[in-house]
Amino acid sequence: MTAMHALDEMVDAVVIGTGAGGAPLLSRLAEAGLKVVALEAGRHWQPQQDFATDEEEQNKLFWMDERLSAGANPIEFGKNNSGIGVGGSTLHYTAYVPRPQPDDFKLHREFGVGADWPIGYDDLAPYYDELELFLGVSGPQSYPWGPSRPPYPLSPLPLNAAAQLMDRACAKLGIATSPAPNAALSAPYFHPAYGRRQACTNRGFCQAGCSTGAKASMDVTYIPRALARGAELRPSCFVTELPLGRSGKISGVVYVRDGQREVQRCRHVFLCAGAIETPRLLLINEIANSSKQVGKNFMAHTGLQIWGTFDEMTRPYKGIPGGLISEETHRPPDADFAGGYLLQSIGVMPLTYAGQVARGRGLWGDALLRHMRNYNQVAGINILGDCLPHEDNELLLSDECDGRGLPKPLVRFTAQDNELRMTAHADRLMRQIWGAAGAEDVWAYQRFAHTIGTARMGDDPGTSVVDADGRAHDVANLTICDNSVFPSALAANPALTIMALALRTADRFLARAAQGDA
Amino acid sequence: MSHPPSVTYASGAIVRLIGSDLMTEPTTAALLRRLAPVSDGAHSTILDERQLALLAAVAARLVPQTERTAAIDLVGSFHRRLVEGTGVGWRYAELPAAAVMHRTGLAALNASAAAAFGSEFVELQAAQQDELLRTVQSGKTWPVAWRGIDPAMWFEELLATLVDIFYAHPLAQDDIGFAGMADAHGWPDVGLGAREVYEPEPVPGEQLGA
Repeated sequence: MTAMHALDEMVDAVVIGTGAGGAPLLSRLAEAGLKVVALEAGRHWQPQQDFATDEEEQNKLFWMDERLSAGANPIEFGKNNSGIGVGGSTLHYTAYVPRPQPDDFKLHREFGVGADWPIGYDDLAPYYDELELFLGVSGPQSYPWGPSRPPYPLSPLPLNAAAQLMDRACAKLGIATSPAPNAALSAPYFHPAYGRRQACTNRGFCQAGCSTGAKASMDVTYIPRALARGAELRPSCFVTELPLGRSGKISGVVYVRDGQREVQRCRHVFLCAGAIETPRLLLINEIANSSKQVGKNFMAHTGLQIWGTFDEMTRPYKGIPGGLISEETHRPPDADFAGGYLLQSIGVMPLTYAGQVARGRGLWGDALLRHMRNYNQVAGINILGDCLPHEDNELLLSDECDGRGLPKPLVRFTAQDNELRMTAHADRLMRQIWGAAGAEDVWAYQRFAHTIGTARMGDDPGTSVVDADGRAHDVANLTICDNSVFPSALAANPALTIMALALRTADRFLARAAQGDA
Repeated sequence: MSHPPSVTYASGAIVRLIGSDLMTEPTTAALLRRLAPVSDGAHSTILDERQLALLAAVAARLVPQTERTAAIDLVGSFHRRLVEGTGVGWRYAELPAAAVMHRTGLAALNASAAAAFGSEFVELQAAQQDELLRTVQSGKTWPVAWRGIDPAMWFEELLATLVDIFYAHPLAQDDIGFAGMADAHGWPDVGLGAREVYEPEPVPGEQLGA
């Protein structure tokens, strides 16, 4: 079982972060017999005992160290897109796991804008297959969009009210839909690597932590497998330094645990801290940045939401939040923008909804209270659309320090012409759909989802931070594996692709190691 | 755009769930903590008595409380967040940290009240207070000392924080008929109109109009 390595023991690898990037990679390395240590900034929760169905209580799952948001579309962090704890952002992802389509990886070739990936769909497809089986993804037998693929291992989760309303309206308008692929179990599931997980109880609380283990977060899937194969997990360890030795390699990882500074010696470092903390750590340590690309090309998916109030009771707190999907808008024939988006029905918890009503709609006083008394009749749809990399959108170190004395990250984000055109297209279409569904009091919430980019992969060390295998161009024993390496945003939720990259990154590393080239 | 009539729910249905076998222990514990009186932010000097009174007057306009929700201590919780430095993980880079931002914003609001109506905010009629708040929300305000703070951004932060405190409280969740915290057994049926007996229904005939 779990190993315990001494700090001065030269372990094979330290993995920083235990989310969608770190956890599958950790597991793969441990399975290969490597001595590996995972460092996680947050705690190791026991969901059944620690997770309440209460949004404020569950703020403990979000990264609450303050980030500064600038630009014309300042990004909301915290509960919108960040995670902390063993499992990282998968603790709060909605488990929505559509695959990107092959053309997403080569937007530049198709449209002459954005950036192409140095790898393609075919490089990741075997890993998508493996992941969907391992996680236990619920979805349709036959998925209507993208290349042919195996059926999902479990039948779809039940459609909640928002999904039924979208289904009904899209049928009227002739827009094809499908039950969405979700990494939450529609039936009990057994895997020898982690044992038995129970079926989803439709608690609807994915975004604030699954208490039953039905959602495939990393803490109930890859982490138990990694521990069973001998990985060591150190929660509550905040990494601060990646010192370079005389060879130009990182000699060990410096972190703070219980206020004490510790250093773990290691041969290789896998940095999987996400598209904010990964570039922040690199910038603070002034490494891996000869390209000056660290922090550049920050992207966030277009995520416009359309809300409406219905005569029927929706009780939007129940069921898998993203029950229904349509990819008919992947390449809309009337598009005046590059790339595309997917459509999704959405449930919502009351505190999240009230916050959006306050910030997005500016309702207060009696108008606010009246609107919120209709919460049980509200339903939403949204998009998840591509975002092009842009030089003005970036992460920097601010001159303000946090409680640890480290500079707070500052993120500038301004939606550019392509994002604005795509959002306008989606606004028209979704209002049409919600109109056909019978919605009243329809309103739009402008949201940008996920944190992407900031340490892009590429073949040219002059314009990218890591190569196609995630290896830093500048530091021989540093590999990055999380959403920061994405050269473009892809028109699909990122978690599944981060996991696929993690498995691929591990396999490429192990293959090189077997040849004595790691 | 038509607005649906606003519904109401009978009082107490949600609060009665707390501690019942319909709720898991972690959820029960969290909600009982929320129902307990807010410990005063003790010995803090973030906002003084006068600023707290002003905040209470503003909160009464932004999130008006009824007899049913009167026990929600908006000002106490707001102040405790400031004292403990509880944030939401981000802030607008243009705004200073929360304590400075709210002290400055409240002072500027009072100065605006004086410029517009010749009185302090707390002395104004409700309609005057609302007019003033709408102006601040729109970002166009009187030439008073905002000390570099964008009035509309400050208003958004103030409103979002008060709303976050209010709807986190079981009494406000009772007001909107939210039953999601009844988490012990899951929801066997999740479609349109599906309802378990312990999920409240709107009170018939008690529509408030939009």
